[in-house]
Amino acid sequence: MTALPGKKGLLIFLLLLALVIIVSLAAYRMTGQMGIEGRFSHAVGLESGEEAGEEGGGWFGLSLEGNPVFYGIVLGALAVLCYASYRHFSVCNDPPGSAKKGSDT
Amino acid sequence: MAHIHLEDGSFSLFWVIVWWTAAIILVGISLYLLRSEKKTDSRKITIAAFCTAAAFAIFQVSIPVFGGVHITLTPLIGILAGPVIGSLVVLIINILSAAIGHGGWGMIGANTLVNIVEVAVAYATWRLLKPFIPDLFSRAGIATVAGLLSGNIAMILIIVISGVQGVNQGTAQILTGLSLLAAVNMGVAVIEAFVTGLIVTYIGKVRPDLLLGERP
Repeated sequence: MTALPGKKGLLIFLLLLALVIIVSLAAYRMTGQMGIEGRFSHAVGLESGEEAGEEGGGWFGLSLEGNPVFYGIVLGALAVLCYASYRHFSVCNDPPGSAKKGSDT
Repeated sequence: MAHIHLEDGSFSLFWVIVWWTAAIILVGISLYLLRSEKKTDSRKITIAAFCTAAAFAIFQVSIPVFGGVHITLTPLIGILAGPVIGSLVVLIINILSAAIGHGGWGMIGANTLVNIVEVAVAYATWRLLKPFIPDLFSRAGIATVAGLLSGNIAMILIIVISGVQGVNQGTAQILTGLSLLAAVNMGVAVIEAFVTGLIVTYIGKVRPDLLLGERP
């Protein structure tokens, strides 16, 4: 087993992406402009009131799914959990390649 | 990304229970494997927490590509946390997503299965390609595309096997519709592959010890 030279790996990756883009664009032209929910309902044959797509809402076309208040609460709780894990396990003080210094679970 | 965007009631109760049971079995196996480890690397727990928060945050954002698509970061979860911890992470993300109104509660089992496939295939591709493609960016990108493609196939299989209640379309029509949907979905794989590649490359430069299989 021989490793591909660095550029060949990137070339394979870019060719793969090009193929994906071509297939996606072709499928998009066949199905037309729809939002996620509308596209799904259309694919399985369900009636959907949301055929116009999700673009146009939110910030620069980016929109949130679900309830933004609950989203903020859950995300805040997860951020606190991350910070607690980061401090508790002393990942921040762990130099690369060294043995772990934090407590084990 | 692959996520079954159908409301509760789209699958019959039987299939909701089947997919939930299958997901619980896989998550149970993961928990058993974790508990059987003599020592769990504390860094894995921290990475799992970061993956959960980051994936949950980005999963709710609809990106205005092809009418609206999601990034899930499930391949990144596979690369950073592995399939064992990754299966727990995607279960939590799906539960939290349902809690804020993104996806039905009955769909959590099926969506967890789809995401576990993405995590496992991305991880396997990442590890298998290591001898051939040492470059982190390219390898992570290819693993991402492979993971997301597998997730879309799993999503199609689950829907076709379950059937959708209240529709008159035949299996062939649903299969055609879902194949087109999956192809459009794969458009976001391009963005996700670049994002995953850049994140993995950055971690590989500053903390290579945090990458599974790349630790010195």
